[in-house]
Amino acid sequence: MEDLSQHILDIAFNSIEAGATELTVMIQEDPNHNLFQFKVLDNGRGITPEEIPLILDPFYTTKKCKRVGIGVPLLREAVDRCGGRFEIKPSPLGRGTAVIATFPYHHLDRVPLGDITGTIITLIAGQPHLDLAYHHRRNNSCFDFSAGALRAQLQDIPLHTPEVLVWLKDYLNQKIAELRRETSEEH
Amino acid sequence: MKSIEDLDKLRQKLQQDMQVRQKEHDVKVTVSMGTCGIAAGAREVVQALLEELKEQGLSNVAITQTSCVGFCQNEPLLEVTKDSEKTVYVNIDQDKAREVVRKHLVQGQVIRDWTNPDTQAHRHEEEK
Repeated sequence: MEDLSQHILDIAFNSIEAGATELTVMIQEDPNHNLFQFKVLDNGRGITPEEIPLILDPFYTTKKCKRVGIGVPLLREAVDRCGGRFEIKPSPLGRGTAVIATFPYHHLDRVPLGDITGTIITLIAGQPHLDLAYHHRRNNSCFDFSAGALRAQLQDIPLHTPEVLVWLKDYLNQKIAELRRETSEEH
Repeated sequence: MKSIEDLDKLRQKLQQDMQVRQKEHDVKVTVSMGTCGIAAGAREVVQALLEELKEQGLSNVAITQTSCVGFCQNEPLLEVTKDSEKTVYVNIDQDKAREVVRKHLVQGQVIRDWTNPDTQAHRHEEEK
């Protein structure tokens, strides 16, 4: 994987395959405290404590058509490479699963966040009914986005209409660039 | 500058257009989104598809996603279902995805060079 946003997309797909209808992606960037963290929380069927060590094994998969499941092991490797912390546990929101990856912000081997906008757009394009929330904090500023709020505003126009998603891509890119610009002026 | 107010304008425009082109989604484009697909660039392919569908003004195309279909070496994969005929394109990139929209979806020409006979045969076998 070239960027962390690809890992986020991959983990989010695990959520969708686990029957999630709600998905929350949280990103926290705190360069001053050498912290970079993302969380993917869902309301899918959840995970049992017995399953957790299994999904870290690349030769474990729940799917019948293939014999490997490398998504989670690849992410753990990306975390381990820079001495970060990787957790999978029942979601704090009650039902579902939480995947949390924490990295030292300034580590040379920390993969960049990359195209997070592309990840969000791709999720919405293929999962028109997914209740997606995005929360991005950098230092003391944050940007929030919710697919539900946009759906309400669009009324009878579907959120996954290509014109709407191309607009959303520019909008998100701009908001995330603003977040980075604002917070880099703080110090 | 993009703002939420712009979205209202876009919505009004699309609502007017919709009255003219009230059409069902009769073409389906499926992108494989397993770990293999994502690592090979499926996310970029989806974005290129959306942009080209917008450019071409195609409103009858549904983009769907599926997990790994077992052809990891041929990712990104794109399956077009049109008039109940399925075509699987292999090793797609952003430029190829745009070309598939222009040639296959707009002009109705299948780009045979980008399909893989083995993949096609397997898919048909699976459906039986």
